[in-house]
Amino acid sequence: MPRASSAPGKRADRDAVFRALGDPTRRAILDRLRHRERRVTELCAPFAMSQPAISQHLKVLTDAGLVSATRAGRERIYRLRPTPLRDAHDWLGHFAEFWSARLDGLAAYLDDEDAGVKR
Amino acid sequence: MKRDLRLERVFPQAPERVWRALTDRRALGQWLMETDFEPVLGHRFTFRAKPRPGWDGVTYCEVIELEPPRRVAYTWRGGAGEGQPLTLDTIVRFTLVPEGSGTRLILEHTGFSGLKSVLVSFMLKSGWSRMLARRLGPVIDAL
Repeated sequence: MPRASSAPGKRADRDAVFRALGDPTRRAILDRLRHRERRVTELCAPFAMSQPAISQHLKVLTDAGLVSATRAGRERIYRLRPTPLRDAHDWLGHFAEFWSARLDGLAAYLDDEDAGVKR
Repeated sequence: MKRDLRLERVFPQAPERVWRALTDRRALGQWLMETDFEPVLGHRFTFRAKPRPGWDGVTYCEVIELEPPRRVAYTWRGGAGEGQPLTLDTIVRFTLVPEGSGTRLILEHTGFSGLKSVLVSFMLKSGWSRMLARRLGPVIDAL
């Protein structure tokens, strides 16, 4: 899935967002953060999963920028950050750029062949 | 409301020449990506690029349409790697139409509904706030 040139950070962000959204547990966590922020223990409650496992999912979500955390005593409180999802819509545009650049490359390739340039 | 990509480009070279550049793996390696493509219906192949976070750099393909020198299409799939969910399940199709002594090349990249379904199912299942739905509605419609 090649991407056309754009800020590398943006591209990595988008990959991280899609990877984060690809997992049902992480989607469920985001769902639980929809209305309000929650403590880690609250987030773990509905899942048949250890806190370290949930923490690992929270790390993926945090790295993707989909949630942010603040410390409250010994616990972290997580809240939703919907902004990265909005970036996803740029995705198709990047493919348009990618293919447009590649077709330029195809034109150059054919012209070089015409000119007898060895490639 | 799925939006597909469609690009058209006219080349001065005849369709047979353009066809060769589209179906010869060495040529493809020059202008597209390194590949083990073969112009055989059902052939499975890959395009390889530098891996990036969230993507192993491999695009998995299978030739699904082949009509020399008019049309070639293949699946275009990718993800974060072995065992990871596919984030891309699409189709790329090249159609060649003679134009004068040259060729009109039509490139279609379709099937981005896979991406749409990930986002839509996520947002619908979780019943996201109306605020977010309003902001993202046009975005989703455009996918």
